[in-house]
Amino acid sequence: MSRLDDELSNELKKALRREEPPVGFEARLMARLSSESKRETGLARWFKLALPRFPMMSRLAFASVLCLMVVAGVHYERERQERVEGEAAKAKLMQALRVTGTELQAMREKVMASSGDRAAGE
Amino acid sequence: MKLPGVTVSSGTPGKTPDGAKDGTAPDCGASPEAAVSEFSALVREHQSMVFSIALHYLHDRESAEEVAQDVFLQLYRQKDRLSGPGHVTAWLRRVACHRSIDYARSHRLDPKIGLEELAEPASEERPGDPMLREKLRKLILSLSEKARMVMILRYQEDLDPEEIARELEMPVSTVKSHLQRSLAMLREKFGRALGGSLG
Repeated sequence: MSRLDDELSNELKKALRREEPPVGFEARLMARLSSESKRETGLARWFKLALPRFPMMSRLAFASVLCLMVVAGVHYERERQERVEGEAAKAKLMQALRVTGTELQAMREKVMASSGDRAAGE
Repeated sequence: MKLPGVTVSSGTPGKTPDGAKDGTAPDCGASPEAAVSEFSALVREHQSMVFSIALHYLHDRESAEEVAQDVFLQLYRQKDRLSGPGHVTAWLRRVACHRSIDYARSHRLDPKIGLEELAEPASEERPGDPMLREKLRKLILSLSEKARMVMILRYQEDLDPEEIARELEMPVSTVKSHLQRSLAMLREKFGRALGGSLG
């Protein structure tokens, strides 16, 4: 390395030397920390403070159980909906059969009545 | 719970001879007062490193303080995840770098001074001259964001290219190339002033 490079390197180290932050930096930081801590309440506080205390495996297990519960819930809801739709279809079919049966009975009675009249006339 | 093999060094502000690679996160299981006290000690130990990275990158003391405070607040929030000697220093350095870059991007703090706008150093400017150093800082400010951060880590933090590559998550060859190009530009711009004095 030439003397020019050495000199440039020295000047760069001086130009980029570490500097202390302005007076009161630490106090302002602590004030921000205090005000932010007060804002953290309820569920947000729980998530921020309690969740990281659980080991990664526990968190993964919790997430897996949560996923399984969601999948099971969706599956159950779909089955329930299919069952309700099936019940409704069955009720409609029974209603149709009842109507058809009633009409058939009425027709049969008419036929019987007309054949009885014809026999009486002969 | 006290982290195994870990102690909080009270440390003096500024850089330690070994590159300030000691220190650890505050003890999360201690009483709130003790945790805050340990956190204060960490702040005092590392504040000049974090603040200076932001200051040299942004060239604005107010913005640098904002970035430095954000970095320490993030440290406080994530203190439970950090352990072991050197971990906190490396973490703070990395987060300070990335936060400074993000801050400049989000606040559109592009360098206001282009190379062509910077006058050649006057012949009376010599090594050791504060004006010369200020011009060097402005020239560094005119570098691309990655090149600027590479120069800061090289000359402020005294890191070698391999360490810089790890901090900035880039190939070592890219770091070396940034260093060579930046130094070539500075040599060209300031060669006359520096060379003249070496005469």
